[in-house]
Amino acid sequence: MNEPTDKTTKSEQQFADKARELFDDSVERLDAATLSRLNRGRHVALEELHRSRPTAVWLRWLPATGVAAAAVVTVMVMRGPNGIDIPVEQEAAADFEILLEGESLEMLEELEFYSWLEAADLEVNGNVG
Amino acid sequence: MNACAGAFAVSCTRESSMGAETLQRERQLNQFLADVERRALRIAEIGVRDRDEALDLVQDAMIKLARNYSDRPHDEWTPLFYRILQNGVRDWHRRQKVRNRVMVWFGRATPGEDEYDVVQQAPDPAGRTPDELLANTEAMQRLEGAVHALPGRQREAFMLRTFEGLDVAGTAVAMGCSEGSVKTHYSRAIHTLREKLGDHWQ
Repeated sequence: MNEPTDKTTKSEQQFADKARELFDDSVERLDAATLSRLNRGRHVALEELHRSRPTAVWLRWLPATGVAAAAVVTVMVMRGPNGIDIPVEQEAAADFEILLEGESLEMLEELEFYSWLEAADLEVNGNVG
Repeated sequence: MNACAGAFAVSCTRESSMGAETLQRERQLNQFLADVERRALRIAEIGVRDRDEALDLVQDAMIKLARNYSDRPHDEWTPLFYRILQNGVRDWHRRQKVRNRVMVWFGRATPGEDEYDVVQQAPDPAGRTPDELLANTEAMQRLEGAVHALPGRQREAFMLRTFEGLDVAGTAVAMGCSEGSVKTHYSRAIHTLREKLGDHWQ
């Protein structure tokens, strides 16, 4: 049960509690056929533990290649089109810092997650579905 | 010879230890999925308004969690599982939109939402009077309709926080957004639902 926060008033919490109560009731009333299908689905999923993990090799390198690409772009912009050094504005330097710090690594991990999901979808559709 | 026998013994011990680890992981994952599967099914069902589709989505999420994240710490499983499930629900809506466009082109629309009957989908329970049962069923039916009508992100935030009981941080991981966004989506969802369902619903 969620505790009321500064953004949720007492009446909002009561509303959420009532909704949760009704939801739990509907969960308890699931029929036997549905529960049986859930049980079967769970056992199919557990069989995955005995299979090898199909992580694509290129996905492992995605965060590293992302950082490398960002670094190359940084150098290219700082050097200018014909290898001429151009002054980099303070704001631009800050942008590169942001690009290379944790936030963008998180974004790259997100990309990895979505790429993995896409690959996993293909496999599930091919093997199971 | 002794060295060979020793190496064989070490290898056997390592394999047996790995087997025990897998078994333990399997037991833990089985317990986790058994705990979460029924609520996950109802959450997916409210999202797609179709029990068969919801069952498929939950099974896909279980498979993906087992295949890719079973070695992650247990306290990460719930948000990861719901993240996979919510992605599945979003993909389902995208596919459904395309399918509907194609069906309209061929003159065959998919069944309307009004044909989904929550009463039929949730047969009875034991031990309560028909009046209590009917009142609960009707209240849940109204709630489901209102939750389904929410914008997607608000619906996710409301269901994960209220139905699954995830905290703000867990919901943020499951939705792939910031904690601030979760608070905003949740607050808007509650406001809209209360307005729509009215005070008499409480």
